[in-house]
Amino acid sequence: MQRRYRTIPDLKVHESAHALAFEDPALAGKLTAMGLLPGTLIEMVRTAPFGSAYYIKADGVRLALREEEASSILIDV
Amino acid sequence: MSEARDKLLNIALVGNPNCGKSTIFNQLTGLRQKTGNFPGITVEIKEGRMQFPSGRQAILTDLPGTYSLYPTSSDEKIVASVLTNPKDAHYPNVVIYVADATHLEKHLLLLTQLLDLDIPVMMALNMSDTAEEIGIKVNAGVLADRLGIPVVAISGRTGANIQKLIAEIEKLSDSTAFSEKHFYPLQEVEKQVAEAVCLNFSLTNAYQALLLAHHYEWLPFLSEQNQETLRAIVQDKGLASLRFQVDETLDRYDRFTPIVQEAVQRPPQFPSTPTDQIDAVVTHRWWGPLLFFFVMLLVFQAIYDWSTVPMDWIEQFFAQLNVWLTDILPVHWSTDLITDGILAGLSGILVFIPQIAILFFLITVLEEIGYMARVVFIFDKTMRRFGMNGRSVVSLISGGACAVPAIMSSRTIGNWKERLITTMVTPFISCSARLPVYAVLIGLAVPDKRVFWIFSWQSLTFGSMYALGVVAAFASGYLMKKVLHTRESSYLAIELPVYRIPHWRNLWLTVWEKVGAFVIGAGKIILVISMVLWALARFGPGDAMAQAATKARQEAQKQQLNQTEAADLLAAYQLEASYAGYLGKVIEPAIRPLGYDWKIGIALIASFAAREVFVGTMSTIYSIGSSEDAFILREKMKKARFEDSGTPVYTLATALSLLVFYALAMQCMSTMAVVKRETGSWKWPLLQFSYMSLMAYLLAWVVYNVFA
Ligand SMILES: Nc1nc2c(ncn2[C@@H]2O[C@H](COP(=O)(O)OP(=O)(O)O)[C@@H](O)[C@H]2O)c(=O)[nH]1
Repeated sequence: MQRRYRTIPDLKVHESAHALAFEDPALAGKLTAMGLLPGTLIEMVRTAPFGSAYYIKADGVRLALREEEASSILIDV
Repeated sequence: MSEARDKLLNIALVGNPNCGKSTIFNQLTGLRQKTGNFPGITVEIKEGRMQFPSGRQAILTDLPGTYSLYPTSSDEKIVASVLTNPKDAHYPNVVIYVADATHLEKHLLLLTQLLDLDIPVMMALNMSDTAEEIGIKVNAGVLADRLGIPVVAISGRTGANIQKLIAEIEKLSDSTAFSEKHFYPLQEVEKQVAEAVCLNFSLTNAYQALLLAHHYEWLPFLSEQNQETLRAIVQDKGLASLRFQVDETLDRYDRFTPIVQEAVQRPPQFPSTPTDQIDAVVTHRWWGPLLFFFVMLLVFQAIYDWSTVPMDWIEQFFAQLNVWLTDILPVHWSTDLITDGILAGLSGILVFIPQIAILFFLITVLEEIGYMARVVFIFDKTMRRFGMNGRSVVSLISGGACAVPAIMSSRTIGNWKERLITTMVTPFISCSARLPVYAVLIGLAVPDKRVFWIFSWQSLTFGSMYALGVVAAFASGYLMKKVLHTRESSYLAIELPVYRIPHWRNLWLTVWEKVGAFVIGAGKIILVISMVLWALARFGPGDAMAQAATKARQEAQKQQLNQTEAADLLAAYQLEASYAGYLGKVIEPAIRPLGYDWKIGIALIASFAAREVFVGTMSTIYSIGSSEDAFILREKMKKARFEDSGTPVYTLATALSLLVFYALAMQCMSTMAVVKRETGSWKWPLLQFSYMSLMAYLLAWVVYNVFA
């Protein structure tokens, strides 16, 4: 089956994609307030030194997200 | 009219994290800040006084930074609970909303919420210096018009337009008019909820009513009955809180984004900032952790090595003062109280101001430049293994200065369990109050030889004490993680701010404030305790003191001691016969296995109020009776012997055992008080006290026996 979306951990370093939706409603509240909205362009910057977290840029804002958080954000293909 | 003018205005600074609120707070209040981050006093919110050119005064409150009125951590909850409760002592007459001009499109959400609450608000468009530099133009006139509030472009850093800001605040507070603009039109369900809440609580503002309904579970000002009423309304109308919150947020963005687009002109491309290049190293897989390690090493080296010169000055100053006072004051017990009691106690602690200042300075620098957020990112995974959150790193590092503000900084952690563990283990980190104890004991027992290239045995021992604290903190974190259970979800999601050169004014004020609080807070306790100790050591039960004196004189004659030796002997006999000696002797059996004599016992008892008392206590105890130089504590301690066996008390083993004891034991009433407040029950601080003391005792015993 062909997936119609990916999540942030699927991004390679320096790859970008638009956010589509959030799977975790509580996190959605937090991220939207921080300025990561559906439609925001997200760039993968790097993974954390000890893994398990991502450094991303959302529309110029630098954010650090955990693996679970990042994989609850759906992005376009 | 004049009455209203005389009343103190309440002004609050509100804004997102890192928007520059504290910088503006410092600009507006300068040294007129009320602080309470040290013993006893713990304020939740920073307050200061500001004065308008007209002479009128106002109270300025710096509320914690938050992105919205839908909080996810307890510091953010403070903002929502103040702004939804007009009866709160901090409820502002006027809000200064601080927004970052370089990222305006992310900074208006909270502002539109304030506008819907009908709070009189004005906007301080901060960072306008940086905005100009990178070519972002913000039209303040358009913003003011579309938002219906005064807007002043300022720079907290250069101080540009601060006077204009002050004038605008005063104008606004006179009119206390709020913007006519409202942003979020409630959806049908929300409208029904708001109407019902307004009716039940006689409110007029629908958005305020809606917030009560969203937050009824934790808003501190609601009675249980209020909560029941709100719960019934929410359930009856079917307000699915989370979904409505997200919808509302998105709707607000839709409404203010056009305003931003109209008011802001930005260069076609985001200019590349040094932040990306710096982060390529700082958050790098290998360089990142390595750099962190070096930064921490540098901090300890700085504390220990850079402070020797100013510390010598302070020591000499007190030695001179003591000589001088002894000369000019009459021979009387009150002179003894001043020189041997108060002065000895105080100098014991004031001498550590340079070290404490360096520590606070370096921690503030790391916060200011934006490095701490990176550390959170790098170590999140590591911290989670030990039951904590990446944010706990900030608490643990700040714990190196003082556990009280460090524990309060754990409020940014949303998850209850992670926050509790952080609170419980932070006091293991060696705080600045342990510094004096370490310094004296290490200077006493560890040889001052250099190893490797810049390190000495002494600074390495010093470093090991910190390492011991860290290991203890992580080990107990791991244990608690296994024991405690929660189903609450935990988040990292943190913004990594751009790197900025620290602002000297912020640095200076923070160091000044922290050191001042330390000296005053700790000074008070030390003063009282050294006076009490002096009295306990000077007086004894019945005629015990007189008998001891007679015995000492006879002994001195028999041994044909010279005058100084005789005086020292007298002092020793009398101390032993005093109340303090009595107390020390009572606990001696319990601490003898750790290598301590009854004199250390006295210091231990006194230290349970606050550990920094140790040095002052030792100074007081060892200077009793001899009126010459009271400040060669180390020399005197070196000469101390066990009375029964005649072996020196301060061998390497005893000193190390004492070091370990002080590193691990919970000896700080202020910390216990703050833990009680932050966790809401005595259960946690008592548990903390018990396991920390037990661990201290056991490990000190092991260390003593290994080295003895
Ligand atoms: N360039 C510039 N930097 C600022 C300005 N105001 C604050 N800063 C810096 O921004 C950082 C965050 O400021 P701070 O006051 O701690 O923010 P807070 O978290 O909102 O209290 C600090 O490094 C400040 O020195 C400003 O107007 N211009």
